[in-house]
Amino acid sequence: MATESDGEEDTAGKLTGSQHLEVDDDLREMAKKAAWSVSSCKPGNGVLALRDDNLDTYWQSDGAQPHLVNIQFQKKVKLQLLVLYVDFKLDESYTPSKISIRAGDGFHNLKEIKTVEFKKPVGWVHIPLSGTDPRETFIHTFMLQLAVLSNHLNGRDTHVRQIKIYGPRPNPVPHQPFHFISKEFITYSTLR
Amino acid sequence: METLMVDRVQSSLRLFMYRNALFLCERLCAEFPSELNLQLLATCYLRNNQAYCAYHILKGSKMPQSRYLFAISCFQMNLLREAETALCPANEPNAEVPNGAAGHYLLGLIYRYTGRRTCAVDHFMQALAIDPLLWAAYEELCILGAAEEASECFNDAAAFRVQQQQLSESSSQNLTIGTECQSLPSSMALGSGDTSPRHSKQLHANNTRETLSHPHGTVMVAGHPPIGGPSNISQYYTPPAVTQLSGVAPPPLCRNAQLYLNAIGGDGYTKSNVNAVIQAPRRKFVDEGKLRKVSGRLFSDSGTRRSTRLSGEAAANTNSNASQLGGNGANHFSAKSLGGLSSSSSKTNSAVLRSVTLRRGQSWANENFDEGRRSQIFYDSCADNTVTTSSMSALADGKCLEQDKMGCGISAHDSRLASGIREFLGLLRTLGEGYRLSCLYRSQEALEVYLRLSQHQFNTGWVLSQVGKAHFELVDYFEADRFFDLARRVSPYTLEGMDIYSTVLYHLEEEMKLSYLAQELISVDRLSPQAWCAMGNCYSLQKDHETAVKNFQRAVHVDSRFAYAHTLCGHEYVALEDFENGIKCYQSALQVDERHYNAWYGLGVVYLRQEKFEFAEHHFRKAFHINPCSSVLMCYLGMALHSLKRDEEALEIMEKAISADKKNPLPMYQKANILSSLERFDEALKELEQLKEYAPRESSVYALMGKIYKRLNVHEKAMFYFGIALDLKPPAADVATIKSAMEKLYLPDELEDTL
Repeated sequence: MATESDGEEDTAGKLTGSQHLEVDDDLREMAKKAAWSVSSCKPGNGVLALRDDNLDTYWQSDGAQPHLVNIQFQKKVKLQLLVLYVDFKLDESYTPSKISIRAGDGFHNLKEIKTVEFKKPVGWVHIPLSGTDPRETFIHTFMLQLAVLSNHLNGRDTHVRQIKIYGPRPNPVPHQPFHFISKEFITYSTLR
Repeated sequence: METLMVDRVQSSLRLFMYRNALFLCERLCAEFPSELNLQLLATCYLRNNQAYCAYHILKGSKMPQSRYLFAISCFQMNLLREAETALCPANEPNAEVPNGAAGHYLLGLIYRYTGRRTCAVDHFMQALAIDPLLWAAYEELCILGAAEEASECFNDAAAFRVQQQQLSESSSQNLTIGTECQSLPSSMALGSGDTSPRHSKQLHANNTRETLSHPHGTVMVAGHPPIGGPSNISQYYTPPAVTQLSGVAPPPLCRNAQLYLNAIGGDGYTKSNVNAVIQAPRRKFVDEGKLRKVSGRLFSDSGTRRSTRLSGEAAANTNSNASQLGGNGANHFSAKSLGGLSSSSSKTNSAVLRSVTLRRGQSWANENFDEGRRSQIFYDSCADNTVTTSSMSALADGKCLEQDKMGCGISAHDSRLASGIREFLGLLRTLGEGYRLSCLYRSQEALEVYLRLSQHQFNTGWVLSQVGKAHFELVDYFEADRFFDLARRVSPYTLEGMDIYSTVLYHLEEEMKLSYLAQELISVDRLSPQAWCAMGNCYSLQKDHETAVKNFQRAVHVDSRFAYAHTLCGHEYVALEDFENGIKCYQSALQVDERHYNAWYGLGVVYLRQEKFEFAEHHFRKAFHINPCSSVLMCYLGMALHSLKRDEEALEIMEKAISADKKNPLPMYQKANILSSLERFDEALKELEQLKEYAPRESSVYALMGKIYKRLNVHEKAMFYFGIALDLKPPAADVATIKSAMEKLYLPDELEDTL
């Protein structure tokens, strides 16, 4: 689910943003259950700005590259999609241009699973977390780390306005291997 | 001046002019401070929804009526302990509960909400014993699961009991009144028979309305004092109040048909008694004067005056008129009886008055019971001029010349009234039985009972909602939808049962209908829990669980005694995987209503997810005990048993579930699941083949079949079924699982190749 271009042409795999946040219905936001932290921040533009659903507030880093955003869960979760809101027009040299996504059990064994490049993105950038293998739609992990490796115009610090992370919904019927999709099943599958 | 003020206050209350009533009443209490006036003021406050004011003014009062009003205000302010002490003082264990049936009913509610179920049941039973027509008490008993069969409660014995009570009251007073009294009690019973089964919340409103109606009765009493002295009145009235908290009010006094219909027998009666006590002294001086006037006209044409009075009362329908006319009439009668009877003992007089009251009651009763009848009776009595009217008055004497005519008239009434009671009790019986069965979740039987109702009773909002609910419990959502829809069309402003309707629409995934319903309910009443439940269900259907939680919490806020709101809130928390809050919600639901099986089910699901299988099984079993008909519950119980590895029992329950509801595919699927885990693959496949027929587009069926074939190493078939499953576009999680299963299918082959 690479680009829904709504502005500039993408060049060979580089992502631009889309105006709208488009997420499948069978995904849900996982971020509430996570502990968020950042490698550095400027006072007043801290990690809360990433989660406040407000596109005017942003996180500004204040240290050496790479700038890191760490998302830690209490148990292993399935993650499918990462969405960032960045805005080149407003942030220019603060806009990230290369991001590495790492996953693992903790800080000690993070492994890179994906690297994406941006080209003057404006809006929501959707980054699916699956590998090249179509079987692996999800990654099953305790922790996710977003590393901003470089910015546009070689800026030192970065601005990110919002981050959302999505995973699959749990099966409404507990301990079921498969989801029910037909109406007959769904109607009878739970009590309310 | 006091009487005048009281009159105005009461007429304002009756006409819903609360500000006026409050103001005048406050002046009244300032001018003539007395406990009785305080009670009236409290009534005004309660009517105006200012329970806190009533609470403050009545705090510490000792009179039964004050205690009752105080308890009502406490109940409304949710100060249940205080309400309880007011009704049942701790240091007077044998004190009579004020207002009989109503008092017991209120006590029952208090006990129920403070978690003392047995006491609650006890008091509801007592309330029903005193007043067999107190539907609300029976309703509560059903909810608590402790109701006996409706035919026990609303049977001929009850009717007889009601009549008996009346009889004994009157016969204790005067033998001569004998025959008339027999007819009269039936009219009395009839009167109370008009009570419509209604909600507890309106209880106090009913009671207070009755206080209004009762001045009329007291008016008649008032005629008495000059003759017998006020002490006699109190003697006359209070003993009955104490000893016979009978089911029937002398609704003679009830002029207003609406008031009347709301009258709940027992409390009405006792209230009237109490009010009689209250009002009588006041009336005294007004009527004394009248009496003197009247005595001059002792043997004048009583007939016309009475008839004019009666028709005048019927027409005018105001307190003041009534008091004046009533005063006249009563005085007249008492005077007449003075003349008529040799013994002018107060007892006789009181008996006379009583029969007058009763007689009046009869006419009112008739009036209210049946419009057509009313005109008949009235015009009969009026048109028949002196004969009938004097026969009516002669009733008092018991020695009328036209005894025959009167007798015929009375017995004609009598039989009609008695049959009226029986009819009404029959209706209550059917409704009661239906409600009881549906509370016991014997929904099929409940449906049969409801079908026995007459057409016009069946096509009412309440009954249709109940039928819809019964279908819902049977997991027959289409029928439930149909009936709830009908209910909405018949009475679009009913809110009761609409929360269940919203759940039905949720299950049927009818987004449009559900959002429409929610919008409508909110526009009808923003402060009702059902409306917010419907909204919450709407959001939940769109998978917006956060907003759904907010809506359900609002429902809880609006009415914390609405168990279903708590349960739905719990469901949403669980969907958000917030198990702690979910459990808390379910537990609050269970605190309100222990028999709310949905909450037990919810807890079971939580524990199932948390893999605490023992707890899960326990909770599902509890839910199953309460509602043994739900195939979905049986299925979940089976799933819990399967997780506990008690597969034999699990399979048994699944079989039961399958046979209970053929349309439910879940138990068949679960059965196949269990069988495949037990490695009984052929049986499992058989089940799945059947399921395939029933739901050909359900990917999980094919996926499971593929899985089984993979275990059986029949790779081609496995691939085939996995392929179909994938084609049906299951959600991504399933896609991943299926694809990885498919991958592993190839591995053995690859291994072979490399070998």
